[in-house]
Amino acid sequence: MSDEQAKVLSRRGFLAGAGAGIGSMVVAVRAVSQQPNPRARMTHDSSLVRDTSNLFAMDQGAARPVRLPPKANAVKQLTNTQRDALEHQLHCQCGCTLDVFTCRTTDFSCQVSPAMHRDVMALVDGGYGAQEIIDAFVSTYGERVLMAPPRSGFNILAWVSPGIAVLVAAAFILAFLRRSQSSRTAPLGPAAKGVDATDDELARLEAAIRRDGE
Amino acid sequence: MILIGELSLWVALLMAAWSTTVSFAGGATRRADLADSGVRGLYATFAMILLASIGLWTALLTKDFSLEYVAGHISSTMPSVYIFTAFWSGQAGSMLFWALILSMYGTIAIATSRRGNEELIPWATGTISAVLMFFIATTCFKANPFTRLDFIPLDGRGMNPQLQNPGMAIHPPNLYLGYVATAIPFAFAIAALFTRRLDAQWLSIVRRWTLLSWFFLTIGIVLGMWWAYVELGWGGYWAWDPVENSSFLPWLTNTAFLHSIMIQEKRGMLRKWNVVLVVMSFLLAIFGTTLTRSGVIESVHSFAQSPVGPWFLTFFAVATGVTIYLVATRLRDLEAKAELESMVSREAAFLYNNLLLIGIAFAIFWGTVFPVLSEWATQNKITVGPPFFNAVNVPLGLLLLALTGIGPLIAWRKASLSNLKRQFATPASVGIITGALLFALGMRAPYVLVAYALCGFVMGTIVQEFYKGMRARQTIHGESVITAFRHLVGRNRRRYGGYIVHAGIVMLFAAFAGMAFKLENDVTLKTGEAFETSDPYGHKWRFVSQGISTSEPRDAQVVGVGLEAFRDGKRVGIIRSEKRTYKDSQNNQLFQPITEVGIRTTAALDTYVVLAGFRDSETAELRISFNPLVVWVWAGGFVMMIGGLIVMWPQAERRRAQAGYVAVMRPAAAGGEPVGA
Repeated sequence: MSDEQAKVLSRRGFLAGAGAGIGSMVVAVRAVSQQPNPRARMTHDSSLVRDTSNLFAMDQGAARPVRLPPKANAVKQLTNTQRDALEHQLHCQCGCTLDVFTCRTTDFSCQVSPAMHRDVMALVDGGYGAQEIIDAFVSTYGERVLMAPPRSGFNILAWVSPGIAVLVAAAFILAFLRRSQSSRTAPLGPAAKGVDATDDELARLEAAIRRDGE
Repeated sequence: MILIGELSLWVALLMAAWSTTVSFAGGATRRADLADSGVRGLYATFAMILLASIGLWTALLTKDFSLEYVAGHISSTMPSVYIFTAFWSGQAGSMLFWALILSMYGTIAIATSRRGNEELIPWATGTISAVLMFFIATTCFKANPFTRLDFIPLDGRGMNPQLQNPGMAIHPPNLYLGYVATAIPFAFAIAALFTRRLDAQWLSIVRRWTLLSWFFLTIGIVLGMWWAYVELGWGGYWAWDPVENSSFLPWLTNTAFLHSIMIQEKRGMLRKWNVVLVVMSFLLAIFGTTLTRSGVIESVHSFAQSPVGPWFLTFFAVATGVTIYLVATRLRDLEAKAELESMVSREAAFLYNNLLLIGIAFAIFWGTVFPVLSEWATQNKITVGPPFFNAVNVPLGLLLLALTGIGPLIAWRKASLSNLKRQFATPASVGIITGALLFALGMRAPYVLVAYALCGFVMGTIVQEFYKGMRARQTIHGESVITAFRHLVGRNRRRYGGYIVHAGIVMLFAAFAGMAFKLENDVTLKTGEAFETSDPYGHKWRFVSQGISTSEPRDAQVVGVGLEAFRDGKRVGIIRSEKRTYKDSQNNQLFQPITEVGIRTTAALDTYVVLAGFRDSETAELRISFNPLVVWVWAGGFVMMIGGLIVMWPQAERRRAQAGYVAVMRPAAAGGEPVGA
């Protein structure tokens, strides 16, 4: 069979296959489109307002009470600025990725961050310090209430791995450079391959590099 | 037209399957007829996907609410531009959009590189078609935009109003254009691994498409930042959200590739590493999509979650598996041609650059997946948020910034001490003076000081490079300053376009560092009440509430508050923030109320006002923030885009043969330093 014949046959096969495919698809699509689609159930009144302003599926019931009895002779240990800084370390639990301060001062519809804010204020008024308040939140919600994992236990891995990876790769690169240097006898030739220059020009460049190196 | 579109989608699936099969068969049996048929199959797939896309656009523009996708993503009160962009605002449409771009890219890539690449083409075509087949199959079976409802609603649900923003209209297509472009270098990398062939032409194809991907990702990412800043109202532009991260990952590997490819071009080295980078970019792009679609990780983009998650996960696993197998079994055939000579050379600087870019990519990848890992290992849910990413990435980022300034100053092959002294004197002085000046002005935060000193250093490098190049042209050709600049950039677009991109990066870093001085105020104001505070530069501001007003345009209910702002006693205008509640033509509320941020922008400072809520009809709760230097993020993004365009401009490829790197060989020619090119 010549190349030309093979080409013609394959094209014919291709067209026949495509034709059959189109035909069967028409039938299949017609059949499918006649059936009511079980997934496509969208009533006009229900769940329209489910999407929230932050593009999240919001869990408005996610706030848990974080309350401790006020300390005897409680004195506020935190200024408002320090309190806001503290709220920047706490993760709002509504389902967003924001911290409590940012969420409560951004999202109109979130009821979780204001509730968490009220708990923070009550604890500040109760004389608790920043670390005590954070600990109280962690004991209620778990570590996910922190904006970054604590640097202890398994989570230490999160913090050290990137550094270790970069150091290992750096060591690898240095080893590669050392090896290259010790074995180098590479003349300019291969490097300049594909460059539009005559041997004479290459020699002049080599000389220029030498001069530059001195 | 809608029915034709629907049918075309299925035909496209067949075509892609055909193209995949015969292309791989053609590659394996070395039969040109099969390979040709595969290529034609790819072209036909593109035509069919185009028809399907026209079908969907027709359905949207004619508001055919019998389609689930149309009813779910537009409403009759929406502006038509967003009806058009609704094509990619939902799951099913964006899958089709992805297939459309991939088939278009594939067609262009194969059509423009067929000559001279007969061996690679069938494998590349087969790979593109296989990826395409996956996307079309997912669209057909799991997210079909042509699915019909069993009733016809009076009006659609509309688009989330936060997505109705000019930035949002163009941010996703740019990201898609960037993501999908990684598939072309990937296909050619797979072809190189199959055929064990990797030459200069391969390099040029892969570089061109990576550059395209980089370019669109850059625009997409910066637009996404802009959208988040003006629309979401949380006050920043980057939150280290998993989906933001996953768009950043392929950008980082692309950037690494665009640097290390220069070593391969000049010295024939790092061939294996470059193949790995190309493959990584594609897998990370797929990883990003898997992340968004699977809902494995909570993210601001969770609205896009859907049943296609498992499909993507499977595809990602298969693609990774196949690639690892190919790389493991064939990589050793792609041997290096030359070796590095010095640790202080341009080549070595590029290696360090790659180390840092990939290090940052790893840190971000790690932080993004760590919650899943931690929950699996300890059954403990944790959050890995901005404090983690900032702590890990700031030092790496600063080192990278330093390299941006160092790299262009070091000679290829081996830098001598005198070369280093001569090249570094000016930029290093600029950097040190910048740092000292800011310290004298009272800036004390160490990271920020280092960042600005490095910004000064890198800018010094860039300006010096331009100055030297232009001086050389002026001396040799007697050109005027403007002509010298034009010729310098025009005749060596890659190098000087690259420097312009670096200038954009410096602007970004300066803006990022500025955010360290951000000030936020949580304020409650009654009508007529004033709030006084200072901005980070020490200017006194006074904001007076103008009261709460309501209005009712066609598609929304608006409640807003205006603040009359005074800076150092001088009135600067009214800054207004609103809450908008959107509704459809039947007056049904659509979505929760959303925020319209009030922003007053100057080169030094953004005054950013968010209406957070109301106590009563007279009292508004507001967040008033001062965000320094934000406008330089957008300016930096724009400069990077211009630099990218200069590098990509088609003529650059052709002219390079005369002027570009050949300048290195002919010291007297244009391009400045003989060896430092």
